[in-house]
This record gives sequence, structure tokens and C-alpha cells, in this order.
Amino acid sequence: MLFKDQVDFVRQHIKKNKLRVFMTVLAATMGCAFLIVLASIGFGIQDTMREEILQDKAITEVEVYPNADEELDVSQIRSIEHVDAIVQRFNLNAMANSQIEDRSLQGNIFLTNFDEEQKSNLQLSEGRMPEKDNEIIVGYQFAESLLTDSERKEMEQNAEENAESTGGYKDSIIGKTISLSLQSYEAEEAFSERWNFTIVGVTENPARDWIIDTKVMVNESWKDKFKEVIVSNTETEVVEAELFYPETKIYTSSLEHVKSVTEELKEKGYNVYSVSEQLEQIDVFFMAFKIGLIFIGTIAVLISSIGIFNTMTMAVTERTREIGVMKAIGASPKLIQRLFLMESAWIGIIGTVLAVVISYAVSFLANWVLPMVVGAALGDEDIQNLSITFSLIPWQLVAIASFISVGVAMISGWRPARKATKIDVIDALRQEL
Amino acid sequence: MIQVQDVNHTFLIGKKGKEKKVPVLKGLSFEVEQGEIVAIVGKSGSGKSTLLHTIAGFMSPEQGSITVNGQETADLNETERAQFRLNNFGFIFQNFQLMPGLTAFENIELPLKIKGVSTKKRKASVKQLLQKVGLEEVADHYPNELSGGQQQRVSIARALITNPPILFADEPTGSLDSETEQDILLLIQDLNQGLGVTFVIITHDEEVASIAHRKFKMHDGELVKGGAPYAI
Repeated sequence: MLFKDQVDFVRQHIKKNKLRVFMTVLAATMGCAFLIVLASIGFGIQDTMREEILQDKAITEVEVYPNADEELDVSQIRSIEHVDAIVQRFNLNAMANSQIEDRSLQGNIFLTNFDEEQKSNLQLSEGRMPEKDNEIIVGYQFAESLLTDSERKEMEQNAEENAESTGGYKDSIIGKTISLSLQSYEAEEAFSERWNFTIVGVTENPARDWIIDTKVMVNESWKDKFKEVIVSNTETEVVEAELFYPETKIYTSSLEHVKSVTEELKEKGYNVYSVSEQLEQIDVFFMAFKIGLIFIGTIAVLISSIGIFNTMTMAVTERTREIGVMKAIGASPKLIQRLFLMESAWIGIIGTVLAVVISYAVSFLANWVLPMVVGAALGDEDIQNLSITFSLIPWQLVAIASFISVGVAMISGWRPARKATKIDVIDALRQEL
Repeated sequence: MIQVQDVNHTFLIGKKGKEKKVPVLKGLSFEVEQGEIVAIVGKSGSGKSTLLHTIAGFMSPEQGSITVNGQETADLNETERAQFRLNNFGFIFQNFQLMPGLTAFENIELPLKIKGVSTKKRKASVKQLLQKVGLEEVADHYPNELSGGQQQRVSIARALITNPPILFADEPTGSLDSETEQDILLLIQDLNQGLGVTFVIITHDEEVASIAHRKFKMHDGELVKGGAPYAI
């Protein structure tokens, strides 16, 4: 029998029992949709957690810390294969006192190698990377945090009243020159030495809303000068290790090399942290979690398969005479079996397609409505603005659910189909019309 | 064409564990030649339907051999037997055995569908045959919209559509009135003479048997005449 005719044959039989088939398809749809929606919660939560972790960290980033009393051997690390950039930022143990016109700001100051920063693909919201010694990069909130004395007073008052600040430098800060001096955390006045720097770049807005980035990033060539100034202005003895806090990040050429680089660094005795390592642990946990959810969902599919089994068994019983006639006129048992399996597969496929459509709709609704519900319940409107994914349906989930749903439908149709092939022609022909 | 040699068969009757063996076919032997109309007559329970079922391959005899066109049917597995029936046999049943959900046209078309013939060829063959059996007018009617005679014509057309060399008819006029019976018998004779189709007719009706070239009478599972096995 041609495939087209087989499909036609199945379609005709389905048409004859519309209501019964509809109810069976409905059960299959509900089972499969339950499976997809349930598992989508696992995928959604995992996605949210990954997003949260990756928000302000590059996936190819590996943080390295030497053991106490040890130093990082940069050249040794550089020799590791697939290490693209080594960014060593030194956080100066002193405040940077920045002044522009009548505005000032006290913030952190970092010394870094801009070539390595560029290699690590440091993202800027505006401007460019420094090329000269006196060119610097500032944090995203640097400009808005530059306040006049009156603005500062006003802000302090507003802070008490919980009102928003309206001050800050409004023009573009790029190309502007700031006068920078250092100030010890203990001292009330800044050191007298001042340097002029030109702002050429502004970093990106930190992903986390609560971070206010007012740092100043200066070329590492200033290290000795800063040290000299601090030493000359400090009465007590200054230990260099306490003056600069190093923060070392290694960037690999691609994600797949993070693991090998991490392992090699560990072998060399360094303490290592990478996002991918954390993600790996999360992925393992969520893999087990998702398998659990899919397992529970599969139970729903199995329950719906009882409906398919019933429908197909009834179909075979009702059509015993027809099957007998078909066998008598030359239909092989294999063909009879295939026709019934196609019918149960059809129920499974239509049920799955509908389930996928419904699941996407439910998932969309859940992601739209649930933040509002949770926000309203907790009385926190901000929760609505957070990018929380309650439900996520990747194509892999659709593929797994479809495989399970259609597979279970065919398995439940298999026994009735086998029963159809075993029908005795003589007995079938004797059946009353 | 058909050789039946020393065929024996028994049925088990009674409750499980207390079954009784009842012989239904007892050492039957006969031959059917190509282009013949052969009638197997006998009373109800004489074993004529069982004989037809064994020749058609719906069941295998316990003993003996049945050869059709040189092929021992007992040697074939179920799938091969189905294929053999599709290519060699056509069936006409007493109660027509049409598919209620298919039109007359679709019922006739069914064996060609099973055979995997293309739609275009199928349509042409069915149209031609509908004309031959005089059913063009009711081609789109469902079986319950047809008279008994028309249903049997559809059944005959369905049996003929694959051009089988042998047609088995089990009480072909059993459900028809006498006028329609005559029409069907004439059609069978026409098809036999026009197409050279071999007919094996199972009937208890002597009038139906009268169109046969040869008659076999069955009694208690044997071919008999006056108590002795015979063939006329």
C-alpha cells in the first residue's frame, strides 16, 4: 500500500470516530504539555541562575590567587596554552581624589596594563582605551558622582529624606582633564602632589544595579610614582604588599579552554576560581533536577497513554470484521499492524504538536504574569523589573518531550496493533454486520 | 490449477480440557481446471465452507496438500499467503463484506490500494470495471445506500479488480431474491466466458450449482454420491 493511501486510510478511520479520537488527543496533549511545562521550570530557574552568575563576569575569565606569602609568576602563567590575556589590576591602598572644575570625587584607583585590558576585551560604554601614560578610564558612575560642595550637602540632606540625587557632571566626560591627588584612608587631607589625567574612556554600566562604579583606572607605569608619594607622606613604614592589592584575571581564548587552563593553574599551585567551574556545578545539579521533573512529567504522559491504549483496543475490536476482510483480500499482517500503529502515532503527534504550542503559551504567560503576582504578593514592584525566567522551553526540551510522547503513544498502540494482526479471518468474516 | 490431495481436517469442540475431535474434512481429493466453474454443494455443516477456507489459505489442513498454480499453500507463511491471495484469488461473500465507510468505488479500489497501485491506474481500472458490472450510477454510494444485488455486484467487482485467475464465491446469492440471483449468476457466467476466470462456488442451492461445469457434492466432510466419494 502506498504511504499516501495508508495516511488516507488512517485519516478516514479517525474521521469516523472524531469525538473519541479528540478526547484521546486531548489526554495526550495534556500529558505532554504537563511534561514540557514542568520541565520548563527547571530550565527557567537554571537559566536565571546562569544569567545571574554571568551578569558581570566573562565566561572565559579565570580568577587566580597566589598562596599566602607567594607571588604570581606572570611569565609562567603566560606560557600556559590558550591563555589570551592576563589582567593584573592593583588596587591602591589609598583614595583617588579627583577634581574637575569645581567638582570632586573620592574613589578607588586601580593600576593596570591597558594592553592586557584590551586583549581581555574590556568593554567601554564610550570612548577608547588609553594610549598615553596620562590617559585614564573611569567608571560608569564617575561623572554623575562628581559633585560640587553644595550638591554634596544637598545630597546628604536628600539621603535623609530618601529623595533622588539631581547633581553630577552632566556633559560628556570624554576628553576632560581631571586633577588627581591621593589621600590616605586615615588622613583628612589629600597629599599635596597632583597630576593631570585625560579621561578617554568610560567603562560599561555594571550589570548589578546596586554597584556604583566610580573607579579610576590608571596605567601601571604610575605605580612607582604613587608609591613614592605615599611613602614620602606617611610617617610609618610602608610595606609594598599592603600598598597594592593585586587582582589577577586570566582570559582564555575560548570557553572550551577554561577547564584545561583552570586545571593547569591548579597544578601549578594557584588558587583558582572560574565562572565556568561554578556553572559546571550548577549544570550538574540542574541536570539531575530536570531529569527528575521530566520523570514526573513522563508519568502524566504514561497516564494519558492508557487513553490511547483504550481507544486503539476499541478501534481494533470495532473493526474486527473490516480487518478480516482486508486480510482475506490480501492485506498482510504487517500492513494491518502498520495502519494501527500509524493511527496511535497520529494521536501522539497531534497531541504533541498541540502540547508544544500550549506549553509555549503557558510559559510566555507564566513569565509575564508571575513576576507581577510575586511582586504584588511581596509588595515589591522592583521584582517585576528583574529578569527572572520562571519557565524556559529550549528546543532540546521540545525534542525530549516529543520523543517521549510519540514513543509512549506508539508503544500503547503496539499491543492493539498486534492484536489486529492476530485476528482470525474466518471468525472475523462470521461477525454480524 | 487447483489440486486438492487427500485433505483431512478436524475441529476441537467442547469445553477446555474436555474437547472432542470432530473430523470436518475426510480425505478429500479433486482438481479444478483453469476456466472452469466448479460448484461445491452440500447441506449446512457438510464441510464445504471449511474446504473453501483451506483452499483459500485462511487455514491450513492437518493433513494432505493443496496446490494452487503449482504453489503448495501450506509452505507459505502468513505474509506470503496474504500476498498469494492478493495476486491469485478474489472473494465473493454471502453477506458481501463491504467496508461500510467506503463508497462503492472505494470498496472496489481497496485491493488495488493494498497492492500499491498508483492512484491514476486505480481510478482507470475501477471505472472500467464499474461499467462492466453496471454500477457507474452508484459509484459514489455507500453500501447502506445500495440494494442487495448492487452490493453483490460491488463485491464481485472488488474480487475482480486485481484480475485474479481464481474467484471463490461463498453462497454468492444467499442474501438475494430470486430475480437478483439470476442477474448475479448471469454476471458470473459472463465473467467466466469473457475473462476466463475460474470460479469455485460454495452453495447449497442447486440452481446456483446449475451454472457450474462440474459439481462436487459434500456430505459429512466427504465428497459423496449415494454414500461413495465421487465427482460429477
